Amino acid sequence: MADILGTFEQAVLLAVVRLDDEAYGRAILKEVQARLQREVAAGAVHATLGRLEQKGLLVSRLGPGTEVRAGRPRRFYTVSASGRRALNDARAAANNLWRGFRWPLKGSYERTEASTLG
Amino acid sequence: MNEPKPPRWAETFLRFLLSPRDRLTVTGDLLEEYRENIHPQRGQREADRWYLSQVAGFAFRGNWLWAALLSGSFITRTALDWFVPPSDFYMRSFVSTWLAVAILLCAGFWAGRQSGLLRSGVLAGIATTLFSAVICAVGTGCLLAIRHDAPTLAAIQGSGGLAEVFTLPVMLVLPGTLLGAVGGLIGRIARRS
Repeated sequence: MADILGTFEQAVLLAVVRLDDEAYGRAILKEVQARLQREVAAGAVHATLGRLEQKGLLVSRLGPGTEVRAGRPRRFYTVSASGRRALNDARAAANNLWRGFRWPLKGSYERTEASTLG
Repeated sequence: MNEPKPPRWAETFLRFLLSPRDRLTVTGDLLEEYRENIHPQRGQREADRWYLSQVAGFAFRGNWLWAALLSGSFITRTALDWFVPPSDFYMRSFVSTWLAVAILLCAGFWAGRQSGLLRSGVLAGIATTLFSAVICAVGTGCLLAIRHDAPTLAAIQGSGGLAEVFTLPVMLVLPGTLLGAVGGLIGRIARRS
């Protein structure tokens, strides 16, 4: 299994999956902010996108600019096969950790029989 | 009607912080958000403040490691001078001065190599010393709060006094700028070769 992704990395990767063909810097920033329900610095998203691309979890291509951007190009991102695998691994790891618990947690009595492995 | 624009100097500053690969796309993303979302909702003044905070975020992300190293070495030196005062400061001064020079040269080199611009090294030197000055003020304040008995106060006086401890990190901005420029120049050459 590859390195487990951090929460913010998962948020960025899932934003790219959700936005599909429209996944470029600003759109990803807004999607991450909406999902995490907090202000996120553009620099944080930019640094994460760069790191994920370096790890081979994302690929990017340049697209044309628009007038509101003063003609500056947009960089569009796509999740690679490794990126999808990493997201699936992260989800599986979280599911394993939570297996057998009712959510939201209230007390130890919320544990079910299936909460122990083996 | 003219489209609203963020402060020109801030946009220029941001370009120096970015690699050539990201220079247009990232500044374009921020300009788009500024014009389509932030400016219509918050007005010129608040939108400019938002833009500056984003640029500061990029500057901090690019230089926090160097600022942490610089402030760490300064605070360590201060703690040693206050709590383990030497009879002669020469060796400590020698080590801490050259360590600071090396850190600022590295900060400039890293920025210059990443962006291919000498000016990025200059900005890295300024940003590193400014962030470091803030951390140093907090750190030395904490040292003083932890221990301020008579022998410590005497050691502080003997090592140059409180004023020096709080002003020296700020005074490093000028040499930091020059060393950042030298590092940036070397970094730019390294990128091209």
